[in-house]
Amino acid sequence: MCRARIRLNALCAFLLLMVACSGEPQQSADTGALTGQLTLTGSSTVAPLIGEIAKRFEQTHPGTRVDVQTGGSSRGVADARRGTADIGMVSRALNADENDLTAYPIALDGVAMIVHRDNPLPVLSEEQIVAIYTGQVTNWREIGGADAPITVVNKAEGRSTLELFLGYFKLRNEDIKPSIIIGDNQQGIRTVAADPNAIGYVSIGTATYEASRGTAIKALSMGGIEASLENVRNGSFPLSRPLHLVTLGSAEQASALARSFIEYAASAAVSDLTEAQYFVPLTH
Amino acid sequence: MADRIATVFMWGVALLISAVFAWIVGDLLLQGLPHLSWGFLSATPTDAGRAGGILPILVSTLLILAVCMVVAIPLGLGTAVLLSEFGRRNPLFGRLVRYSLDVLAGVPSIVFGLFGNAFFSLYLGMGFSILSGGLTLACMVLPLLIRSSETALRAVPDDYRRAAAALGLPVFATLWRILLPAATPGLIAGLVLGIGRALAETAALLFTSGYVDRMPGSLLDSGRSLSIHIYDLAMNVPGGESNAYASAVVLIMLLLIINALTFRAADRWLHQRITAV
Repeated sequence: MCRARIRLNALCAFLLLMVACSGEPQQSADTGALTGQLTLTGSSTVAPLIGEIAKRFEQTHPGTRVDVQTGGSSRGVADARRGTADIGMVSRALNADENDLTAYPIALDGVAMIVHRDNPLPVLSEEQIVAIYTGQVTNWREIGGADAPITVVNKAEGRSTLELFLGYFKLRNEDIKPSIIIGDNQQGIRTVAADPNAIGYVSIGTATYEASRGTAIKALSMGGIEASLENVRNGSFPLSRPLHLVTLGSAEQASALARSFIEYAASAAVSDLTEAQYFVPLTH
Repeated sequence: MADRIATVFMWGVALLISAVFAWIVGDLLLQGLPHLSWGFLSATPTDAGRAGGILPILVSTLLILAVCMVVAIPLGLGTAVLLSEFGRRNPLFGRLVRYSLDVLAGVPSIVFGLFGNAFFSLYLGMGFSILSGGLTLACMVLPLLIRSSETALRAVPDDYRRAAAALGLPVFATLWRILLPAATPGLIAGLVLGIGRALAETAALLFTSGYVDRMPGSLLDSGRSLSIHIYDLAMNVPGGESNAYASAVVLIMLLLIINALTFRAADRWLHQRITAV
């Protein structure tokens, strides 16, 4: 019994030691001009782009460190509010209840409806898309296609692409009758490429890139406007969204380092990086 | 006749399993090997992982695994010994611990991730760090490790314990010289399972060790694990598939190497124990 207790005590002591050793405080983010550390969290769409921008920023400003985390736009908003992140990444416009944050656009992205390459329909009207997603039309034959059931691919709750899609078509997520629910862009592309009867929606840049590589998908025109990065750039494509960085409070409340990083991320100096990740840089 | 059917069935099942394994590995090697090179292993990733290599990610992965195992092995072994050797005098306590462990072992890894983020990263202030990720993984593999170690220790015949007691061996010597060596094969099997689970983990690490693909400078830096890198390249980065395959090949090779080293270390230890006695 006594031996057992000693062993238990030893275990407890070890645990305490672990906790004590690990509780080192993090250094604060804003010490002086353009040195220090920034943490960004948020949208998985934006994270790879910001990761690349961060590397170039660190090179131009030695002494700075920019850590980019991911997790989704909602997480970006929550972490910026809580102070866990200096800057949040949000791949949509801010909602009305998020006016405690300041948003800075850094790039544009569009959302395209995609179907399998072998789908004979050249175009779908907005009414047809709404009818398909709400389950009023369940077979391609009903709208002039082959006699096959439609596989409706929808995005998971909390994804900005879903919110943009719902907002544009004035739908509620409860009204949608999805066959498959997916997460990231690539998953949507794979799902549609593997199923000749599927319809889904993904980021335009990803869709055009994958179609050009020969993946079996095609992007549909919206309201007579071709789904291309060019049409997102000139503002004519209806389903487009700004990619944002957000900070808590007004612009003045952000640290000097955060402000200079945001400025850098929106500047022409990183346009090539933005295009390399298949987004549209802001016009300067 | 029935025997023959059973034999054919068994062979069929065994072949099917091997075929699935061969298919997965074959597909990985076919798509991954052409992109695998020394340069891939020794360079940092560029263009969101589509170009460049995986050196910092490999280093982060090994550090996370090291933190996880350094914490999990002593705790796991200690608890297993407590449960199997000393718990018999207090069966209620043992049952409670075992029940908690079984529940914990069934908890989805994303729950551990959220717990790790809330406890290690935010409450203890470790932020996104390799330490935080390793500790979260340790929490995740501990139930597995404890239960398998306990089973291994329990499988040692009681005659060994009685013989040791009859010889007047102290409890610690019994444990160190007799019970642990006798249980080694089972302990190692559990350890290898735990390592496999830790290396494959994505969800628990996304919010703890994080997404940063820089070379980590200390355990308090954020570092991306191989599994997260593969997931991101495959699911989030257009045009990342080829490097995702190459990274997956590296992950599997890493797992095989670590398993082989573990078995070898165990063999050597066992050999020393037995010849020293």
